[in-house]
Amino acid sequence: MFDPEKFIAEKVEEAKKIITGNAIIAVSGGVDSSVAAAIVAKAIGERLTAVHVDNGFMRKHSDEMGESEWVVASLKKVGVNSILADAEEQFLNARLDMHKIYPKGIPEAAKSEMQEDGFSKPLKEVVEPEVKRKIIGEQFIRVFEKEARKVNAKFLIQGTLAPDWIESGGGIRDNIKSHHNVGGLPPDMGVELYEPNHELYKDEVRKVARALGLPAELSERQPFPGPALAIRIIGPPNKENTVIVREANYIWEQVLENAFKEGRLDKMPEQYLVGYFPSLKTVGVHGDVRCHGGAIGLRAFKTLDFMSGQASNIPFEILEEASIKITNALKEKVNRVFYDVTHKPPGTTEFE
Amino acid sequence: MVKIYVVDNGGQWTHREWRVLKYLDVDTKIIPNTTPFEEIKDVDGLVMSGGAPRIGSESMKLGNCGEYIDKAKFPILGMCVSHQFMALHFGGESGPAKVPEFGLAKMKIAVQNELFKDVPEESQVWESHNDEVKLLPKEFTCLASTANCNVQAIKHNDKLIYGLQFHPEVEQTEFGHKIFENFVNICKKNKDGTN
Repeated sequence: MFDPEKFIAEKVEEAKKIITGNAIIAVSGGVDSSVAAAIVAKAIGERLTAVHVDNGFMRKHSDEMGESEWVVASLKKVGVNSILADAEEQFLNARLDMHKIYPKGIPEAAKSEMQEDGFSKPLKEVVEPEVKRKIIGEQFIRVFEKEARKVNAKFLIQGTLAPDWIESGGGIRDNIKSHHNVGGLPPDMGVELYEPNHELYKDEVRKVARALGLPAELSERQPFPGPALAIRIIGPPNKENTVIVREANYIWEQVLENAFKEGRLDKMPEQYLVGYFPSLKTVGVHGDVRCHGGAIGLRAFKTLDFMSGQASNIPFEILEEASIKITNALKEKVNRVFYDVTHKPPGTTEFE
Repeated sequence: MVKIYVVDNGGQWTHREWRVLKYLDVDTKIIPNTTPFEEIKDVDGLVMSGGAPRIGSESMKLGNCGEYIDKAKFPILGMCVSHQFMALHFGGESGPAKVPEFGLAKMKIAVQNELFKDVPEESQVWESHNDEVKLLPKEFTCLASTANCNVQAIKHNDKLIYGLQFHPEVEQTEFGHKIFENFVNICKKNKDGTN
């Protein structure tokens, strides 16, 4: 079986040998990057700086606090020297050099996102999921490059897990989705990459987190993808759509977490999220007035390692509660709430 | 320690096969399907992964899998496209499935075999395929089926060559871990000459 103590000892030794000079680590606040940070910190101590990027697509942590603020506060609590990079506008307006990213030819599905000058539309107007992911991947690296220069870092540490690079394809493997930290990496990156969790799965990385003694709010934290809420908008990730998906996502999280605490839900699903479909317009009636709004898809997912999984069996009363709260909060923007009953395969965990 | 390598045909779950073997204390690694047979001839068994290649038009993407099957003196377990390839390789037929299956299916065992030791007659399996075995070669026996796919598991009548259409390496296949354990035991026995 997997031995987390042995894994930690091996990786700390490896990091000591590989990392020369200063390093920065990209931290999302999730268990993957927290584990990578803790392991590398054990190896190189204060030569490590943590950077958290607020790309504008982060969640609500509570009614008072955004996720990014919470991440930075938590890092400080465990004594990690950290920087918050606010890059919302940079991400929204970022465009992709299509010929550079796709040197072997631009895929059919991505062509509609290209403009006359050979660059993509700005992220806030892009619909094609792969182009979204590639823009976001590139911007992450641009921010880190800038921050790396500030601290004179030669290495970038990431929390990449096995499913990230497996799904990103390469060789004869088909590209299912480009994970922001794998398929999105631009070829001209100015720092060297080190990924201690490269061979691990989600359940294993949690075991390592517990063995490292990280607090439960980190070791058991719900996974959240790097491209964040941008890939939970099945449509253009502009500010208006982000506000809607952020609120709906928060309500769904709260409904499930409360139901579990109160014993109305036996087991928390390993993942739960919403997708906002702004162009899936349906007719509704609000206070005797017709309205024409979008839809929210709820997903709750049971899995060991995210490489395969099942839609969770959520009691109807809980789905109903989420539906009422979401439509009441989002009024004319959201007319319908659906529950996704698709397993993986054929679906994936996220909608994009 | 028994040595079983995983041949990578580009499957989404190649790494899972490696992981299940590793958890069973097997000496294992993932190798490209272009690895020359000479380099792997001392293994005690081989797992051939599934993958995106379509059996009708892209079987050349399966590299040296045919050579491994011909030359192996050790047991082989092929998943999904490798299972379809085995049927084709021995003169059977594989092609687009009448009903492609994704996710949950119920498998019924027709013929008991060491590979299915302690697996109940009916159990839940996890599927992901567009193609299937259409005609079984005469050297093979069909071991199991689902409602939408007749050939879910096959075994060579004289050699320790097995093919599975479903995916025992994923958690949702109820007795997947058990099937791997059985395969590891088959490899061990073959190594010790107790088969």
